[in-house]
Amino acid sequence: MSANTVIRVSNLVKQYDTKTALDGVSFDVHGGEILGLLGPNGAGKSTTMKILTTYLTATSGEVSVDGIDANSDPVKVRAMLGYLPESTPLYADMVVYDYLHYVGSMRNFAKADLHKRIAEVVRMVGLQEYVGFQIANLSKGYKQRVGLAQALLHNPKVLILDEPTSGLDPNQIVEIRNLIRELGSNHTIILSSHNLAEVRQICDRVVIIHRGKVVADGTLDELEGRVAATHRILLGVQAPAGKETGGQAAADLLSSLKALPSVLSAQLSHQSQAPVPHATYELEASSDIRGELFRWAEAKGHTLLELRRKDLDLEGIFQSLTQDAQA
Amino acid sequence: MNAVLTLARRELAATFDSPIAYIAGAVFLVVTGLLFFFGHDGTADFFAAREATLRPLFEYAPWVMAVILPAVTMRLVAEEKKSGTLELLVTLPITDLQIVMGKLLGAIGFLAVTLAATLVFPIAVATIGHPDLGAVAGGYVGLLLIGVAFLSLGLLTSTWTHNQIIAFIVGLLLCVFFWTATDALLKVAFDRPPLALQLLSFKTQFDDFTKGVVDLRNVVYFLSVSAVAVIGSVYSLQSRHWK
Repeated sequence: MSANTVIRVSNLVKQYDTKTALDGVSFDVHGGEILGLLGPNGAGKSTTMKILTTYLTATSGEVSVDGIDANSDPVKVRAMLGYLPESTPLYADMVVYDYLHYVGSMRNFAKADLHKRIAEVVRMVGLQEYVGFQIANLSKGYKQRVGLAQALLHNPKVLILDEPTSGLDPNQIVEIRNLIRELGSNHTIILSSHNLAEVRQICDRVVIIHRGKVVADGTLDELEGRVAATHRILLGVQAPAGKETGGQAAADLLSSLKALPSVLSAQLSHQSQAPVPHATYELEASSDIRGELFRWAEAKGHTLLELRRKDLDLEGIFQSLTQDAQA
Repeated sequence: MNAVLTLARRELAATFDSPIAYIAGAVFLVVTGLLFFFGHDGTADFFAAREATLRPLFEYAPWVMAVILPAVTMRLVAEEKKSGTLELLVTLPITDLQIVMGKLLGAIGFLAVTLAATLVFPIAVATIGHPDLGAVAGGYVGLLLIGVAFLSLGLLTSTWTHNQIIAFIVGLLLCVFFWTATDALLKVAFDRPPLALQLLSFKTQFDDFTKGVVDLRNVVYFLSVSAVAVIGSVYSLQSRHWK
């Protein structure tokens, strides 16, 4: 454990009636780090967060924040945390300012400080024009900002954000992501997501949870390096003039692709006559053979329409990580 | 303590923000008023009796409270469970006991306002006669204690579910049971019910108050019922940890 460890999760097990939600989850988060908890729905991200925030207690295992055990002194741990639960539950009947004032009073703010701090936080999250609005009348994006504002109010050491961008429109997503990035400069943040691009953009490090277990822990580049043993390549070719790519021609091409060295598998993923007759193939190769493919197309007289490495998606990462674990 | 008062203030404001408070308050005043002046079968007539007493008020008000108060408490926790705000509330740096006390205190605020409004009855009676002011004061202390016990029971049922209707119905049943069913059941089961069981009935415990006797034992009884319900509510909130 390094001196800078703010959150320590060790060997967390959470057993619901019949289901094991967490099966020995461990990771550390260092001060000032933005950690992404990544995983498909039901993997155990939210359960981990609920235990971190002391909403739930683990069946076994330990959680500590700044050296304080969440089980033995939950109130002290809660005082250090700001929490935005999934789907941002707020009191719809309250006015934004009153709500923040209420949360502040519950957090024992002195009256004079509270007013000042609310003004600060409202400016940080960009709610200036909406402090007088009833929460029920705000858009999803602004509700999310209110949720962030209540989490930030007491300037907590740690922010725990459960799927902070889910359900937002693309513009709102960009705004909230930028805001989280900014907050990362002076808070330690854990956020959960099932969006790889988002995690790439915001997080310094990722912990991937799959079926209640940590299957990977590191920077995204490290993980991709581990996963990238096979290269998935997308190839689109136009049929030579006078020839159609349909039927026999496409199948011929496929077998000729499969015959190439280092191609592990190939399949026709798409073909169409419009806008030009073309066929798209998806290849798995043991190395990055884009160069070879270019020369192959040139030699065979196919016009290359598309040639790119397929970005790893979460599915791909899970597949190969869980295969690793089984192997 | 600060957090408890903040929560109580917020709950009281939320109660008066919703129509429930006004409907419950109005129903309480109108129904107890009608019962007070005309009796439950319309045969009693306060004016014909020519007696300056508030006994009818104390006889009927607990009935009405047993119906009205669970309607006020039903949302206290059930609503937060349903909307998910409970998760934010219990992860604030406060204890579950503080949450329960704050919510109960807010509901007691509503009860106090409503009982204060019924003071028109003794004032009306006092203008035309000379009621026993000791009995009136004792009766009001009793009503407040019964009310707090009903609110605690209602709060307890509200922690059991995220469905406000279920919280209301179960709360209503519990209140009616404590107010009268124990009494009625005992009469069916025994010729002379054992004193220990008789003492379980709110009615038995309430009787002395209406005679102007505030007996510490009765006070302790009602406060114990409330305390048990409060502890039960805290336990119910904490059950999330071992489910």
